[in-house]
Amino acid sequence: MIEFSRHILPNGLTLIVHQDFSTPIAAVNMLYKVGSKHEHAEKTGFAHLFEHLMFGGSENIPVYDEPLTAASGENNAFTNNDITNYYITLPAENIETAFWLESDRMLSLAFSEQSLNVQKKVVVEEFNQHYLNQPYGDVWLLLRPLAYAVHPYSWPTIGKSPEHIQNATLIDVKDFFYHHYAPNNAILTIAGPVEPESTVELVQKWFGEIERRALDDKNIPVEPKQESPRFLEVSRNVPFNAIYKAYHICRRNHPDFAPTDLISDILSNGKSARLYQHLVKEKQLFSNINAFVTGDIDEGLLVVTGQLFPSTSFRDADESITSELEELKIKPVSDYELEKVKNRFESNFVFEETSILNKAINLSFYEQLGNAGYINQEVEKYRAVSTNRIMEVAREILSVNNCSTLYYKKN
Amino acid sequence: MTLSKLNRKEPPERRAVRKIELPEPSISTLPNGAKLAVINAGTQDIVKMEVIFNGGTRYQKKILSSQAAVSLMCEGTTTRNSNQLAEQLDFLGSFLQHSFDRDFASVSLFTTRKHFAASLEVVADILTNPTYPENELEIFRKKGKQSLTVELEKVETLAKQGFFQCLFGPDHPYGSFATPDDFDKLSQPDVADFHKNFHNLSNSFIILAGRVDEHEVKTVETLLGANSPGRRLGALNNSLPAAAQTPREKFTYKENAIQSAVRIGKQMVSRNHPDYIGLMVLNTILGGYFGSRLMQNLREDKGFTYGISSILIPYRETSVFMIGTEVGREVTKPAVEEIYNELDKLVRVPVPAEELELVKSQMTGDLLRTLDGPLAIADSIAELYQYNNMNLNFLDQTIETINTITSNKLQSLAISYFNPDEMVKSVAGAQPF
Repeated sequence: MIEFSRHILPNGLTLIVHQDFSTPIAAVNMLYKVGSKHEHAEKTGFAHLFEHLMFGGSENIPVYDEPLTAASGENNAFTNNDITNYYITLPAENIETAFWLESDRMLSLAFSEQSLNVQKKVVVEEFNQHYLNQPYGDVWLLLRPLAYAVHPYSWPTIGKSPEHIQNATLIDVKDFFYHHYAPNNAILTIAGPVEPESTVELVQKWFGEIERRALDDKNIPVEPKQESPRFLEVSRNVPFNAIYKAYHICRRNHPDFAPTDLISDILSNGKSARLYQHLVKEKQLFSNINAFVTGDIDEGLLVVTGQLFPSTSFRDADESITSELEELKIKPVSDYELEKVKNRFESNFVFEETSILNKAINLSFYEQLGNAGYINQEVEKYRAVSTNRIMEVAREILSVNNCSTLYYKKN
Repeated sequence: MTLSKLNRKEPPERRAVRKIELPEPSISTLPNGAKLAVINAGTQDIVKMEVIFNGGTRYQKKILSSQAAVSLMCEGTTTRNSNQLAEQLDFLGSFLQHSFDRDFASVSLFTTRKHFAASLEVVADILTNPTYPENELEIFRKKGKQSLTVELEKVETLAKQGFFQCLFGPDHPYGSFATPDDFDKLSQPDVADFHKNFHNLSNSFIILAGRVDEHEVKTVETLLGANSPGRRLGALNNSLPAAAQTPREKFTYKENAIQSAVRIGKQMVSRNHPDYIGLMVLNTILGGYFGSRLMQNLREDKGFTYGISSILIPYRETSVFMIGTEVGREVTKPAVEEIYNELDKLVRVPVPAEELELVKSQMTGDLLRTLDGPLAIADSIAELYQYNNMNLNFLDQTIETINTITSNKLQSLAISYFNPDEMVKSVAGAQPF
């Protein structure tokens, strides 16, 4: 049980405080409810580029990193399709330094042309390093537009192409900031050896005077139901063939999310899981195989990925995956197997809570889903999933017409 | 509230970290000779147990046998087959991890407290009775060969291998690397022999961390600490050969690479050497944190790279200093030049007082962060053991040195250790530097 208190400031900032005296470190996590799904289709990669610019100095503080380092603090951030998340860890007695820095960059950025130009280059190198100069690195650049026809999940957070990043202007940057970065679009979580009352006062002191902003209220298009199979084949300079199959699933907050996630666990969580046991060890068709859910806020994907042994044909690979999925639709999973994946989920979940930073990030994440308290109900939700529900959900999602298949061929 | 009086230009008051309390582990010797360190910490009912062997790749007669011996331990014992082992551990919600490096091999169990005893019973079987069945070894060969082939497509892998080959020579235990074909040459007796010789519990170091008390300690003593006559191993043949004379630069061509991977560095001293902590400080200044000189110059100023860092990698009897980055193909040459400029500056110019203060705060904060939760603490203890033989004062000495070291001392260390002419350079990509 993770205890916490919630406070909403008059300007709309949500504050979550969790006390833990077992660590000398405090974690300060700022989640902004903006991700790559809020981008314009012709200006993709922007939310993530913007994350880099948040370290380029703010209205009253020319350099972000130095004063934090001087307080023995460390920070980083990540952007995904739904959110941008900034976090700091530092000795608890220096926590005010974190509030000073975070509040100033929420107030206003420095917006420097120099910073924009350098970070554009840095992000293009990041694009090259992770997506273009890696074997199989461009998979998500191919799979997303195949699976999504209209929803902005059709591009990855890094963007559709390096050109989109190179074209970003300072006007775009300012516009993005004032429409998405605001106290009324953020969740601040503090975790560590702190007193809730004085923490709330300090947050009020540093963040209280920042005004609410009018947020971008553009609607995000809903992905229509997929009616027929989709298929793409590409050739690349890689040593082995690989296959990717993506199936549309529910939203993160939907009651079916737990059974869907458990389906992916039955398929591939742990060495005893079905795909590894049947297709790697028994039939020896794949050198590795994996199934997972994306867990996005809007309707996401269940993805199966496998790298083929040289002797395996795409046809055999594809059929073997499909028949494993069919099995879930026709044969109830045993009580033992369901219990096993639930046990694994539970212990994994508990391990997540052993570092103060993870606790802060997770509390923010669940608050953004609707209530930080979901963190204490998650295990129960998974425990409540029945054999029947697994089969029903499998029948709903694991159909040919709901599937996008990518054959990634070696040259 | 007097909001208008808020001074946003000046940082709030902050305090320096002067002392760090490592929760002291209780250390005992089990009847078979194994050392056990116990750390009771954390808020969750979890347990992590790591068993460390002197079983790294440096000890192998046949290449890959160290990796195979630790990876395949869980693929069958005298009483359970691979599938039964996986099923039992998965059902208990337990995670088994194995790792190996040049010096050490280790097996870690992550589990909940309620399932610790049942899980450890399985793990004890894995540690003491593995059979290394030929069919499991065959899958290991096929998978390993394939994943190594993919790794070798990456410029960072090629640059790193080139770097260590230049430093030690391609036949040295620290400079040799397996090729995909080596997997075919590995036999069942190679693997079983390695296990017999190097995974001996009586020579192991066991770390038990989490919410643990005498109950869990007793379980470990019973299952891993019993005396097993005849299995006790003599002294290890662990003298490290001298590094071979090798070329100081290496370029590995990789067609169509849009980035080049760069590795630059040299061999330094072991963790017990009086200069080591000072070298840690120099390394941090140069490339050990986000605000480091290399990061500021090559990323934040020039935009050559997504990231650049330098590290001091500790080994049992030595350490290696290595700068690493991936840069745009067309800026490979200027990027390498800038790295050498920064090395040169470290030697020529004393570190300004303000920068030194900043780095001290960074390093003390990093040390504090290594104590966040039982898993982090267990890792710190493992490191102390592996490279120091359990000198628990090492943390205190580190803090003390960080807080007192001067710019003059750092410059004299830089002159002795960071001479750019002594560095080895390895680049992989489409364009020579």
